[in-house]
Amino acid sequence: MTAHTSSSSSLGLISSATAISQGAEAKVYYASLHPAPSPASTTETVDVLIKHRFHKGYRHPSLDNSLTKSRVAGEARALIRCLRCGVHVPGIRMVDAAEGVLALEWIDGKSVRFLLGGGAEGEEEEAADSEDSDVAEAAAQEDDTDPLSEYGATQDELMAMVGAEIAKMHRGDVVHGDLTTSNMMLRHPRSEKGLQLVLIDFGLAYTSTLVEDKAVDLYVLERAFASTHPASEPLFASVLRAYQAGMGREWTAISKRLDDVRLRGRKRSMVG
Amino acid sequence: METYHYPSFPADASHVHIALFKNVSNAAELRSRIVRASLLEGSEGDLEREAVNFAFIDARLICSRVHLQTAIYQAVLAHAQGALRTKTVHSEILWTLNPSNNISEAIRRYGVSDTTAFLIVVRISTANDANVLANMQAVVSGELSRFSLEGITDWASVKKYYKLNSEPALKIQGITLVQERKIIDEIVTSTVAMKSVMT
Repeated sequence: MTAHTSSSSSLGLISSATAISQGAEAKVYYASLHPAPSPASTTETVDVLIKHRFHKGYRHPSLDNSLTKSRVAGEARALIRCLRCGVHVPGIRMVDAAEGVLALEWIDGKSVRFLLGGGAEGEEEEAADSEDSDVAEAAAQEDDTDPLSEYGATQDELMAMVGAEIAKMHRGDVVHGDLTTSNMMLRHPRSEKGLQLVLIDFGLAYTSTLVEDKAVDLYVLERAFASTHPASEPLFASVLRAYQAGMGREWTAISKRLDDVRLRGRKRSMVG
Repeated sequence: METYHYPSFPADASHVHIALFKNVSNAAELRSRIVRASLLEGSEGDLEREAVNFAFIDARLICSRVHLQTAIYQAVLAHAQGALRTKTVHSEILWTLNPSNNISEAIRRYGVSDTTAFLIVVRISTANDANVLANMQAVVSGELSRFSLEGITDWASVKKYYKLNSEPALKIQGITLVQERKIIDEIVTSTVAMKSVMT
């Protein structure tokens, strides 16, 4: 740990934040970034999602620092590139690369995975060992209302939004690297920016102009659909239809390459 | 004037004071006073520097309250980590607001100029900084106003400085002015937030 860690502003912020989930790479929190002013002149709050790439004790400290810093920077750069290309992604609210902390605009909405009936993220593990969540889940299904109806969109419209958003991103030469239905959210129509499909988690994103990289990005999503949603073929077909419309002339090459990738898998053969 | 208390910031920068002045009449004098203060030597210089120890920001280039707060937050963060790129936390705010790394350009564009009529004054200080507002009013001649940038923001200049005129994000069919401004604000605020890792 570095000397200033104990008094770090970002860690102070995290200590007052609400933990949401944890992965191997980072821990995610909800917080309000800016305090209310005095006198209370505004009720506007800046709700953020904080992504803390915590210190990894198994790595050499200097390697750990440089990896963390470059990943925070990489994610922020991919997001700003997407924003400029008109892709709907969370806005950036704070970056503390030294501490590995990134604060992003809080999205009021649900993941596409949840909206397609695939459960919320992480639920599969929790449901297995917790009676409570089994009950809660059963109750939710008992309800039997399509969660999408609240958003005023059909499944087909949702898939078209997904395809259109990925096309915008690929036209801007950003490759997401981890396209899954958990990494897409539908912003609730009641929010200030209105109903939007928002792509999230650019931790593995990079820029590339290669047809190969874009085709693999789509292939990863196709596999994610197949493994999380029953009868995924017509869903993914709608995604591709909207993607094709968004990509224009670039589509032919990507489509051909996607067929190749389907035959060989995501890793390219190194033979020859 | 609004005061924000950030408990996680170091004690010497835990309080942020923001005031908006309209119809500022002494912008030219103020600018030359700041320049003079930076050149004065000895105790007289210290006194004069303390008198203008604020961030003076041209309000026309600020899109929203969040935009300003983001710049302040990143400047204080740099200050807390001993990573300031300019001499003070106040000048760091101006640097953070400007998309390039050129400090004098940042001050020229975002700082007070001879024609500035709408001025945002920011002071970052400790909890016991009693006369902030009086000290602001001692150097700025203008109407202290409720913080609202409605009708003040010069969107054309913001677009120019941030090179947004040819961006696909703003080339959407049938987009309204309000929607366009929200998109500009989002891109600009996000760019300010990630400036420390831009290159």
